Amino acid sequence: MTRLRVDPLRCRGHGICVLRAPDRIELDDWGFAELDGRPLVGSIQLRQARRAVAACPARALALDESAPA
Amino acid sequence: MALSWDPAPLRVQSAADPAGPRHRAPAAGEPVARLLAGPRAAAGPESLAAHQQRLGPLELRERTPAELRSLVAESGLTGRGGAGFPTVRKLRAVADRPGWALVVVNGSESEPASRKDRELLTLRPHLVLDGAVVGAAAVGSDQVVIAVHGEASPWAQALERALGERDRERHGSPSIRLAVVPPRYVAGESSSLVAFLEGGAAKPRPGRPAATHGVDGRPTLVLNAETVAHLALIARRGARWFREAGTPGAPGSHLMTLVGPHGAEVLELVRPQRLGDLLSDRGLGGRLPAAVLLGGYGGAWVDGAEAAELPLGRDRLAERGLSFGCGLVGLLPAGRCGLAETARLLAYLAGETAGQCGPCRFGLPALALAAADLARGRATRREVGRLRRRAAAIAGRGACHLPDGAVTLLDHALRVFADDVERHLRRGPCQDAGAPPTFPIPPPPGLPGWR
Repeated sequence: MTRLRVDPLRCRGHGICVLRAPDRIELDDWGFAELDGRPLVGSIQLRQARRAVAACPARALALDESAPA
Repeated sequence: MALSWDPAPLRVQSAADPAGPRHRAPAAGEPVARLLAGPRAAAGPESLAAHQQRLGPLELRERTPAELRSLVAESGLTGRGGAGFPTVRKLRAVADRPGWALVVVNGSESEPASRKDRELLTLRPHLVLDGAVVGAAAVGSDQVVIAVHGEASPWAQALERALGERDRERHGSPSIRLAVVPPRYVAGESSSLVAFLEGGAAKPRPGRPAATHGVDGRPTLVLNAETVAHLALIARRGARWFREAGTPGAPGSHLMTLVGPHGAEVLELVRPQRLGDLLSDRGLGGRLPAAVLLGGYGGAWVDGAEAAELPLGRDRLAERGLSFGCGLVGLLPAGRCGLAETARLLAYLAGETAGQCGPCRFGLPALALAAADLARGRATRREVGRLRRRAAAIAGRGACHLPDGAVTLLDHALRVFADDVERHLRRGPCQDAGAPPTFPIPPPPGLPGWR
């Protein structure tokens, strides 16, 4: 089970992630990444998520392989 | 009556308080105060001599740290700061870590209307200090920090004096010092205290529990001041005695702060009690409040019509999906507007954002402004819809519980005061919109405010 996580202290609302992983990331009204916390499904979502993680200038995104928090 | 932030001297009601109104001697089997037993509040801080004469000496030498932890496990003591976490789990988490353990007694009580910890520190400083000694012994620590707000406050002075009394007769007990934390709402979170004691800003750090990510990497035990005071009594009287108060699901007595038009009062709940009974016992039973604010400023509103039946007891409230939080029970007087009060509380909470997380930094002010518009009768139906949507979007996304608390308060307000929402949408402002707050709102802190 892999999930996408955002560190709220690091996210500065650059908004690049949403372009990389539009299926699983939304921006809230102030431009900060909003994730649903559900596991990523399928290779396309996983690939998108990896790109989003790599693209974040604030290094706020991470893939989380552990059990749900 | 609005309360000022500067705490007025409180009347502490306890079984041993002959000065209290409507006092009568407790009958057989009737609950007797524990933490607030002893001399009445007007007598001021209890001296070391009086404390030791009343309770006897604290004898720990025969007990190993593991024995003390088992004792706490048997007692079923849970944290009294708000979350209600089992105390023994914190003790074990710290004791299991290698390294020089530190104990932090959290007496900061950042909830503006709560008074119970301040009252306890002021009137029974040696009970808290004894408990700190027990906590330190249970994790093998020789160093204690007591964190409080307000440098020249009555509680800080009472603690300084109490520490002075102890200095004269210390035998190998832990070193204890005071730390004054900045007067911010989130500065009392345990990760904020750790950050502050490391020399940083008193801002929360997510996912870094004090036990594993403590001060300078040390295993750090952070316990609320009331929790610690219970430890002092459990060490003297045992786990079974402790469980004679409270319920199996929430053992021991619980301090609470009753705030209302009559002022603020700290009470000790030895048994769960209906709010209606508690109010009529104090001569406040007449008119039902418009609503009750439960657990803190990030807590729940309960409709005044249901208020009388509200069971004041941590587990009983939990059964109803409500949290007792810091033990705050705030009475919004009949005739006052809950939406206007919510808007004022939200404005305060928004001003207390540490500014670390975007959804909180930008979201809380947006919620507060929208709630104020609603209270002033300026909001449209669409704006109320946006307010709900934004509240849902903010919940659970911060480093600490500040945004979640604000959203909880707003959610309850929109449900409990649904009729008022409708009225404000149709008929505009109520006369309460610009009124002074019922519950105390601290003044904005000076800059920089986090050290």
